[in-house]
Amino acid sequence: MSTRLTALHGNHACALAAVAAGCRFFAGYPITPSSEIAEHLSYELPKVGGTFVQMEDEIASIAAVIGASLGGLRAMTATSGPGFSLMQENIGYGAMIEAPCVVIDVMRGGPSTGMPTRPAQGDIMQARFGSHGDRPVVALAPASVQEIYTETIRAFDLAEQLRTPVTVLYDQVIAQLLESVAVPEPATIHVHERKWANGAGAAFQPYAAGEDGVPAMVRPGDGHRVHTTGLTHAESGFPTQVPPVVDRMMRRLLGKIDIHAAMLERYETLMTDDADVLVVAYGITARAARRAVMVLRAEGLRVGLFRPITLWPFPEGPLRRLAGQARAVLVPEMNAGQLVLEIQRLVAGAAPVHPLGRIDGEPIAPDQIVAAVKELAVHA
Amino acid sequence: MLDVAPATPFDPKDYLRLQYMPHFMCPGCGHGIALRALLAAVHDCGIAKDDLAVVCGIGCSGRVGGYIDANTFHTTHGRPLAFATGLKLARPDLTVVVVTGDGDCLAIGGNHLIHAARRNLDLTCLMLNNEVYGMTGGQASPTTAATRLTSTTQSGAIEPTFDACALAAAAGAGFVGREVTRQAPALKTLIARALRHKGFSFVEVMSDCTEVYGRKNDLGEAPEMILSQKADMRPEQHNDAPNQPFRPNALPTGVFVERDLPEYGARLRAHAAMIRGDTAR
Amino acid sequence: MRPLSQDDIAPTPWPVTTGMNILVVGVGGQGVLMISKALALMAQRRGFAVKQSEVHGMAKRGGIVFSHVRFAEQVWSPTITRGEADMLVALEWAEALRWLDHLRPGRGVFIADTRQIVPPFACRSRKRGAPSGYARETPAEIVGRHADGCALDATGIATALGDSRAANTVLLGRLSAWLDYPVAEWHDVIAAIVPKGTREINRKAFDAGRGWTPPAPDADPDLVAAVPDALPDRHVGVAIEAAWCKGCGICVKLCPERCLAMDGPKAIVATPSACTGCRVCEWLCPDFAVTVRNEGVPA
Repeated sequence: MSTRLTALHGNHACALAAVAAGCRFFAGYPITPSSEIAEHLSYELPKVGGTFVQMEDEIASIAAVIGASLGGLRAMTATSGPGFSLMQENIGYGAMIEAPCVVIDVMRGGPSTGMPTRPAQGDIMQARFGSHGDRPVVALAPASVQEIYTETIRAFDLAEQLRTPVTVLYDQVIAQLLESVAVPEPATIHVHERKWANGAGAAFQPYAAGEDGVPAMVRPGDGHRVHTTGLTHAESGFPTQVPPVVDRMMRRLLGKIDIHAAMLERYETLMTDDADVLVVAYGITARAARRAVMVLRAEGLRVGLFRPITLWPFPEGPLRRLAGQARAVLVPEMNAGQLVLEIQRLVAGAAPVHPLGRIDGEPIAPDQIVAAVKELAVHA
Repeated sequence: MLDVAPATPFDPKDYLRLQYMPHFMCPGCGHGIALRALLAAVHDCGIAKDDLAVVCGIGCSGRVGGYIDANTFHTTHGRPLAFATGLKLARPDLTVVVVTGDGDCLAIGGNHLIHAARRNLDLTCLMLNNEVYGMTGGQASPTTAATRLTSTTQSGAIEPTFDACALAAAAGAGFVGREVTRQAPALKTLIARALRHKGFSFVEVMSDCTEVYGRKNDLGEAPEMILSQKADMRPEQHNDAPNQPFRPNALPTGVFVERDLPEYGARLRAHAAMIRGDTAR
Repeated sequence: MRPLSQDDIAPTPWPVTTGMNILVVGVGGQGVLMISKALALMAQRRGFAVKQSEVHGMAKRGGIVFSHVRFAEQVWSPTITRGEADMLVALEWAEALRWLDHLRPGRGVFIADTRQIVPPFACRSRKRGAPSGYARETPAEIVGRHADGCALDATGIATALGDSRAANTVLLGRLSAWLDYPVAEWHDVIAAIVPKGTREINRKAFDAGRGWTPPAPDADPDLVAAVPDALPDRHVGVAIEAAWCKGCGICVKLCPERCLAMDGPKAIVATPSACTGCRVCEWLCPDFAVTVRNEGVPA
């Protein structure tokens, strides 16, 4: 793959990756620490014939993004915790009507206004459960500027293939971190084309899907003239409350994530083969965990790192397998204990799972993880 | 879009999804009259169904779009203008009509209304004002007139109301008008003018909620309600009592604002061209 | 309703060689008889046989007054039967509606003051602003259904000139636009029948009526006459799709000809022959259940 190395801030990398992925519409509202994404795209998108629009709030931003997606464009918004909260209803709408789009959430200290300029990882459960009702959820958690670039592109690819909103979660630290990035040549970047409907006709069913669980999408003006609604709908696109139809439609909607689990799954392991203590960390915290594993290994402790890159759906199989070999699991994260709940559920008692939460606005340092692992190793 | 009326006579059945008719509005609901006027205006303007996108919010007004044989979007409460903004920017070739209600547009969606008006993107916003939240059982809306009874104002509404047209005009809309469903032909003409207007156009339709609002307030059956629209809209009655609480159904009708303002989509495209440096400003 | 233009309103004067039937209606005190007197005098001057028949027994203020004016080479009957009036001149809106069926279908001229005089028996409540039983039909919907004519605020025009009582002369002026007689001769006729002290105001009122033009299309539709060039043929019709009708009753109550009726929970076409094809029911049916066939009036 032909690449060039360049130094980029995380948010800048995100903006460039979006353009490289074919994003041609961005709607957003200023919020620290994500604003640089909008700032860069306000200039980059028009250059490639795309549209940047600053909306009146985050609710309108995600609405406009979904509107543009329905119009046929690859579309994105970017925000931070408070704005992400405001977007939740429409993210659920996007999932329900199956509008592909990408939502970047640069996490900052919360709750409420919290600490706008401080990092946190407190939005991961909001990304999973923030919108009411059951819906398909895809969330990615890059840990470096390089990965922001690649995961932003992958977010578009997944969104377009699965017809669903995809969230990219990273925190204030890597958002504003300057790192070397290997930027691939545009020709080497591939994002799947949305599956377009062809063949207008009275019998056309906009929400009928084949084995892949993803219905083909119509473009306004292509002759299909379909109805799109957030009400629970049948294959026809029109509302229904007939229990077997509702059940069928909802299971198909949720099931398309399961069908594509292999495509979605992405994680990284470090020295897990013989690990007594498994550290599970994501995003910026995983960088501290990596250092901690190296330090502990040098001291002779058998410690490994499991780093989910696709956070939702969580890579359950690999985690279960590794946790089954470990005597203890440590989950450091910059919140009061969110992912640890999921890990506890998955490990299901096979090994004790310990939280290591930090909620003071400071990133978790390697020393902190080293100390925590040592304590576990003593008791394990 | 045609500037003259097309030669073929208007038949609403050409524009309806007949398999879903009759629609689910209550007997006598003014929204059906407004829907017919909208379809007649679309016909007059020569807009092809494939090129028409109707974006609705939530509530009784939100269900109007589903009956139109076009590209229809039933979105979230209060947000149709924001969805429509994205759609229109992505697809300038479409005629995008937003059908919304008084609660959808002025309460939960008030922010989007003023900014859509300010931005002046080429959208047509049809606000069906029946002065009440009909779908949820008749609660007071931002246009419920003082003293009116609703499920949340059991002893009479006390809040002042919005003048939606004044709001849209003050926010910068290029075209603003109001009509009652009673004057359906005039309403059609008004909507057609709004559709032809380049930029954000706002049309308020005074519509009757017969089953919930009319019954609760003893306003008579559907015919009585629609007949009283004429009397209510006379400005001199309103002027008799200038200190009386504002009555939305005593408002004047017609076109209040019609001005040429730079359209947002065109501005954006010109701006993009400037950034690319491929054409002169 | 198509937009109005000046052409819609400018009348084509009738070459009056064969005579005319003109019905003048109003309520007591408005000056119905003055109009008919002027018409009669003018017709006499032109050498026609004239018959003028009037009811003014109820002429104490508020009662109905009407006057039949017939002039031709030879006139036998003193009254105008239904559908035989060439012109209907109404000084009061509800009276205009009451006499509509006398107008000749297809080419009758309709001229009315839009001013309403609500009779006491139409008042259901003494509360200020309470709904009354007064006729609900609007000028816009009525005028559009007739071959020619207009509805204007004659009382308002007369008031602006200085005397509301000259409204009748405003209407006479308007009516004169359809009769091919010189203005000077009309002035003579009016001067001959009005009290000396009111000649000036009546002359002004006549001129104001004759020169009246409709307000701009954006103005209150009440004051605007929508006048098709010609009333279509009688083969018009109305049909109701029962499956879609929800029985709200709007079409039944708003049909100016009362040709629809409720049959249990649904509206039906009770007297199809009464339909004039005005499309009011079609426009106002919230359920798309009414279809009017009338090639003369655009849908």
